[in-house]
Amino acid sequence: MDTVITLVQILLATAGLLALFRAVRGPNLVDRIVALDLVVLLLAGGIAAHGARTGSQLYAPVLVVVALVAFAGTVLVARFIEWRDVP
Amino acid sequence: MSIVEILGASLMLVGAALSFLAVLGVVDFPTSLARMHAATKSASLGLGLLALGAGLAAGSPGLIGIGALVAVFLFMTAPISGHMLGRSVYAAGQVTGLVHDDLAAGPGDSLRIAPGGRPGVSIRRLVLLAVVWVLLWRDSSPGVWLAGFGIASVVESIRRFSGLPARVTFRGLASFLSHYVWTVLVSNIRVAREVVTPNNDQIREAIVAVPLRTDSIAAALLIANAISYAPGSLTIELTQDPLVLYVHVLHFESVAAVRRDVARLEERVVAAVAGQAVPMR
Repeated sequence: MDTVITLVQILLATAGLLALFRAVRGPNLVDRIVALDLVVLLLAGGIAAHGARTGSQLYAPVLVVVALVAFAGTVLVARFIEWRDVP
Repeated sequence: MSIVEILGASLMLVGAALSFLAVLGVVDFPTSLARMHAATKSASLGLGLLALGAGLAAGSPGLIGIGALVAVFLFMTAPISGHMLGRSVYAAGQVTGLVHDDLAAGPGDSLRIAPGGRPGVSIRRLVLLAVVWVLLWRDSSPGVWLAGFGIASVVESIRRFSGLPARVTFRGLASFLSHYVWTVLVSNIRVAREVVTPNNDQIREAIVAVPLRTDSIAAALLIANAISYAPGSLTIELTQDPLVLYVHVLHFESVAAVRRDVARLEERVVAAVAGQAVPMR
């Protein structure tokens, strides 16, 4: 079980680095937001994997909060981009 | 290792692989909207499976409940993020190279759901809120249920939003949900194939206006959600009076083909939540 979880965490970490690459490269703001949104979801995935390793439920509420904040943040920024040029 | 642990471990692996796939799509696909397709379709299923698998692997019912909650939440929100971002990147004028663009003519008014209607206590919503409360607490003792119903009642009595009129039939809903799950799987496999094969030239992007035949707002919202999970399509805009859905497609063939696919989905959705046959126009 520990091997599987380690594998999962390696996959997630590599994916996170790749997503950061897209976030740095852009080219436009929306690409960066999509990439950073993915990074946050990968983070939540890592938290879930940690929960499976330790059997601890301490992080479960964090999972919910991270998923909520990722959504709220993304929608907020999308609104900002849309209304940026409207006086 | 028990069967449940093995199931949990494999769900986690598949979930991690799908999340990885979403990122590969976001790195590899050539345009902003194509990248959004990969992120919307693969990330919600990926993290959903990861959270569920983690609960199973840890053998804790509480974590399974949280995982299910997160999965349902992601499937509700990921298409909304995709739609909002897609609309803003279009409004910013950064979408180029479309083969066909119905949005260029300027859409009507975006759908607004006004608060109002007849307020009243819905037992179904009370139970739903209480279940969410119990799942969040990871404890189903009578006290937690009582507190859940108490807080749900307070929320019910101070809310301004009175819900959308919908006539849910369970047979229709079961048929729609099985179709929905199948669609999500197919579109994830499609994204995987497109990431692996290096033929990005075959992408022919287009935005197609699809007039909906139903006048039920609940059905329109469900269609907009499900379209974002269908292979190669993403909801960009939904307008009211009349209800028109603007769909971004990755592999455009013809307007008629896109409209036919949406019409098929519409029949299922209407049977599930509007409880009536589609009026022919």
